[in-house]
Amino acid sequence: MKYPQILLQNRKPDRIATLEEYRQSGGYQALADILEKYSYKDVQEEILESRLLGRGGAAFPAGTKLMSVADDASFPRYIVCNADEMEPGTFKDRVLIHADPHMIIEGIIIAGYAVTAEKGIIFIRPEYESGAKILEREIDIARQSGYLGKNILDSDYALDIVVHRSAGRYICGEVTAQLSALMGKRPNPKQPPPYPTERGVWGMPTVLSNVETFACIPHIINNGPDWFKSLAKTETGAGTKIFCVSGKVKRPGFYELPIGTRLSEIIEEHAGGMRAGSEFKACLPGGASTQFLPKELYDIEMDFDPLREAGSRLGTGAIMVFDHKTCLVAATLNLIEFFARESCGWCTPCREGLPYIRDILWRIENGEGEEEFMPMLERMSKHLWSAYCAFAPGAISPLQGLLAHFKDEVLEHISQRKCPFK
Amino acid sequence: MSKLIIDDREIEVSPGTKVIEAAAQLGIMIPRFCYHPALGSVGACRVCAVKFIQGPFKGVQMSCMIDAQDGMVVSTTDEDVADFRRHVIEWLMLHHPHDCPVCDEGGHCLLQDMTVSGGHGIRRYLGKKRTYTDQFLGPLLQHEMNRCIHCYRCSRFYQEYSGYRDLGAMQSANRTYFGRFTDGILESPFSGNLSDICPTGVYTDKPSRYFGRRWDYQRSPSLCINCSLGCHTVASIKYREVKRQEARFSEPVNGYFICDRGRYGFFYSSLESRPRMARINGKQCTFNQAQHAMIEKLEEIKKNSGSAAIAAVGSLRSSLETLVMLAQLCQTKRWRDPACFIDSSQVQNVKTAISRLEPQLRVSLRDIERADFILAVGADPINEAPMLALAMRQAQRNGATIVVIDPRPVSLPFPFLYLPAAPMALSAYLGSLIKAVVNRGTADKMGDGARKFYDRIPEGKKLAEAQPPLSSEMLQSLQQSRRPIIVCGTEILSETVLSLSADFALLLQAAEKQAGLFYLMPGANAFAGGILSGEKDSFLQIIEQIEDGSIRALISVEADPFWWFDDRPRLERALDKIDLLVVLDYLDSQAAQRANIFIPTATFYESGGMLINQEGRVQVAPRALLGGIPISQAGGGDHPPRLYDVGIAGFDPKAAWLTLADLANGAAQEDEKALQQHLWKQISDLIPQLATFSSIDEIPQEGIVCSCGVNIDSRFSINWSAASNIRHDSGDDFDLIEVDWTFGTEELSSLSPCLWKLERKPCLVMHSGRAEIIGLTDVDLVEISTETGSLEAELRTADNMAPGILVLPRHRKLAWQIFTPGKIRIRKDQIRKKQ
Repeated sequence: MKYPQILLQNRKPDRIATLEEYRQSGGYQALADILEKYSYKDVQEEILESRLLGRGGAAFPAGTKLMSVADDASFPRYIVCNADEMEPGTFKDRVLIHADPHMIIEGIIIAGYAVTAEKGIIFIRPEYESGAKILEREIDIARQSGYLGKNILDSDYALDIVVHRSAGRYICGEVTAQLSALMGKRPNPKQPPPYPTERGVWGMPTVLSNVETFACIPHIINNGPDWFKSLAKTETGAGTKIFCVSGKVKRPGFYELPIGTRLSEIIEEHAGGMRAGSEFKACLPGGASTQFLPKELYDIEMDFDPLREAGSRLGTGAIMVFDHKTCLVAATLNLIEFFARESCGWCTPCREGLPYIRDILWRIENGEGEEEFMPMLERMSKHLWSAYCAFAPGAISPLQGLLAHFKDEVLEHISQRKCPFK
Repeated sequence: MSKLIIDDREIEVSPGTKVIEAAAQLGIMIPRFCYHPALGSVGACRVCAVKFIQGPFKGVQMSCMIDAQDGMVVSTTDEDVADFRRHVIEWLMLHHPHDCPVCDEGGHCLLQDMTVSGGHGIRRYLGKKRTYTDQFLGPLLQHEMNRCIHCYRCSRFYQEYSGYRDLGAMQSANRTYFGRFTDGILESPFSGNLSDICPTGVYTDKPSRYFGRRWDYQRSPSLCINCSLGCHTVASIKYREVKRQEARFSEPVNGYFICDRGRYGFFYSSLESRPRMARINGKQCTFNQAQHAMIEKLEEIKKNSGSAAIAAVGSLRSSLETLVMLAQLCQTKRWRDPACFIDSSQVQNVKTAISRLEPQLRVSLRDIERADFILAVGADPINEAPMLALAMRQAQRNGATIVVIDPRPVSLPFPFLYLPAAPMALSAYLGSLIKAVVNRGTADKMGDGARKFYDRIPEGKKLAEAQPPLSSEMLQSLQQSRRPIIVCGTEILSETVLSLSADFALLLQAAEKQAGLFYLMPGANAFAGGILSGEKDSFLQIIEQIEDGSIRALISVEADPFWWFDDRPRLERALDKIDLLVVLDYLDSQAAQRANIFIPTATFYESGGMLINQEGRVQVAPRALLGGIPISQAGGGDHPPRLYDVGIAGFDPKAAWLTLADLANGAAQEDEKALQQHLWKQISDLIPQLATFSSIDEIPQEGIVCSCGVNIDSRFSINWSAASNIRHDSGDDFDLIEVDWTFGTEELSSLSPCLWKLERKPCLVMHSGRAEIIGLTDVDLVEISTETGSLEAELRTADNMAPGILVLPRHRKLAWQIFTPGKIRIRKDQIRKKQ
């Protein structure tokens, strides 16, 4: 089935969309409209009404976030675009930047207007150097065309955007850690209060959202919240979602589909089904920090609520598909390896617990497993939820999925004293 | 107030109290590593987890991160949370080496305690332990990174709390490393605190390494005598020597920390060169022989030249007991009043400060942390009283504006507004500040005197021509402040500026501000010296009277004029001229070496006693050890030392005041108890606030702040016409000021070998523009010649200082004593570049 392409409407096979092309598709109309007709409150309300949820993984309502900047909050206020895309399996931000950068820029300006921000920052991971260059170039073009700088489109509103290259750590994707990194500090998360919208970068009110979230905003303004909600397949959902499908499917790739599209449809119709000789065994529905979905949930609606009810998360919408020949212990080990390395080192459960779990999993995978490891894994993964920030609970999610749905496979490793897939 | 239930017990705590502290008030010690009352809560170690059963929070949460609130029901013993804490300990122990038997922290290690009490005994982790490379961090701290449990206390203390940047966290995940970018001596003069706050043995005290376990030491509360703040310490003694010193918590004074000068300034007390035997003309003798000789000789001089031919000099590092006894001795024997200060301007400065420390003005070091505006006038905190800088840092972290008006190139570990002003211009600056923030009506509220004072403040015109202007930022933040404090040094300022600072603070109070006043003083017991000294009692006066022949004998009590008197040749000539020099001291000072009769005394650790800090706080330190030659020196290297002598070698020295009491009583050995009672009577007569106590033992730990010497008649009494006489800097000559440095200029800490490496190279400091004019550049070797001698030193130039000033540290490596006491002027032709 074909669905309307909103975020990808200007995507070209071989190059990025130009400003002219973006404008022809209705680009910067939303900005012109709000500057002419909307108060900042109106913009906040439109976005709240649209039920747009943060696309970076945490699914926080974008409108609520904008509204949490108090009317009398101090200036300057900052708007930060999180392009520190490091969730394994996720590449939507990269594609969006390379497809239609002005959509993101316009989204940032509109969101900036909604909180009267004067400074915009795009925080981008160092591996996305080409993306950073594109953004810098296109920001310059936008500035020359009067969309950025002082008196945007002859209004009173002023905003400029800079591109900040991260030094590169997974944890820099976490809001408070990212703000610390921006200020040149160690990217250790900081538990609120104060919330970044009260005191963020340099102690000033800061709104931070994901690239995809910003990209949705111009379309919401242009077409209205009801249209946005109507895009979704579920009652409670809103908008489209970019799914990054990888793993043992015929056409791994990047699909913009309505929120709530069933997993089975995504895999079979859009990703071309499983590869020859492969059977669906499990998938991670929203990046590496979500729980495995077993075969029983193959038909699940890919929306925030249904996945939460199933004990997993939509996360970034990065679907990693594993087939019946894949050892999930090895896959989990691989993921934990990543998270153990990427921990910021602030709190004990994350810094020491993850390497401990990695050691145990490695032993199980390599034939050194013991029965007593099972309760240790279970208890430790439970305790990791009491870590400082959401990193450890995310990191431990695949393991918890493994223990919940594939315990037998782990026990088999232990009883056979080897990996049954080898 | 918030009422909550912890482990079935109800407690009411003030709002803002963390649950971990509320539990502590119930006597429940929740484990902690990263939490420290001074450093605050950060929730990093996760070991203080408790279970919230009812109230706004639910489930396992960190007790250090959550404010106690009404209706909370908290369990520390719930199985879930106990299991979580067990896991945290297990995680922390994964890589911790089992080297407790050879670790200096063993025995007072928080990690050890928590591991044992948490019940973690069996190792389940099968992987390899992580290892790190240790760093050389200088002579004070040993680094052992393998022991690290990543609580971040060190980097938080070092960077956030004290404002230094050269030690911190590096790398990430479970490779996080705490140290410096490269090996090297730690730059912070507060680095020793790392060994106190590290919950395990990553930073241990280097000078006392491998010497003993916590329980091997006799640990005794003590007081620091390395500057005038009187910080609280704990002295650790083993085998008859002080081996280690740690910070002791004191709410009003130093909080949880002390500086490195204080921490490592104790080595003088057990130096091998410390004289333990009495001497007559350089020959060792018994204590009694020396005492008899002294009495005999003094009698003889009295007979020949009269009582007034005998003078005594006291010291600012002596206890209150010694100073009072010395004063009494001089009085009963009709000797001249003792001198504790170098010249009359020093004694007048201290006396002025004492007279202006009115109870409603004086503030403690802790109050400084709460200030929202601090004006430091003629004070160089990091060099003169390092813990003051740490307190100011806390104020700055809380948003205070710090303004420093000083001729020296002052540097502090935090941002501050700085005005390089010549000492002569300081009163004019204060005048302009008063005019800018206090209006006439406010001054009027303080009475006639204040109004007249206000009206006479000269216009700042002269100032504007000659000196850099006060910035509007300074004025504005002072105007907006609610708790401004004026910090004022007593070393390089004139008495006028000291008075003016107090008047300023009074006017700020009249302007509805909670203003405070904080003076620094030139020695640990300078306050006591100030109360006991007359206006003119100075060492310079004694020298003059030796020169005119009216003084024939000098008794120097724990004082070494060779260390602090400006004119060495004149001092030597004077001492050559007198008939008798008696020295009582515990240092092998130059004065002691020259003495006709030398009598050893006990150190402050061995005598204990009272000190009055610069705030007027009378504090008591008990005797920490009995004395005697350390076993490491007496035992000839044997281990264990085999000593079969009767008695303790080197046990002769006794508290100086006891020797003085013997002298007063003609060596009639009175019972020490009776002497003490008698002395207590005199001390409590001197300090009325002590009269309610029947003995020294009743003085509370935080001391008693006294107001003796306060004189409210001296309010608003300065002579403006003299004070506002700003000399135009001609560019031809310099005002030389002698200053203190953190290390290398203070008498006692200069004897600590471990601090020598931290000393900056002694140098003269001159404004770079002025140096250029007279053809000198940075790091030139220069010679200053005066009528009395010459001094060679490296020249360092600086931009951030008053141009007409030459700064000279009283460094132990410089023979700087070639000046005439008082104001020192150096013409440019007296400074010459050495080839």
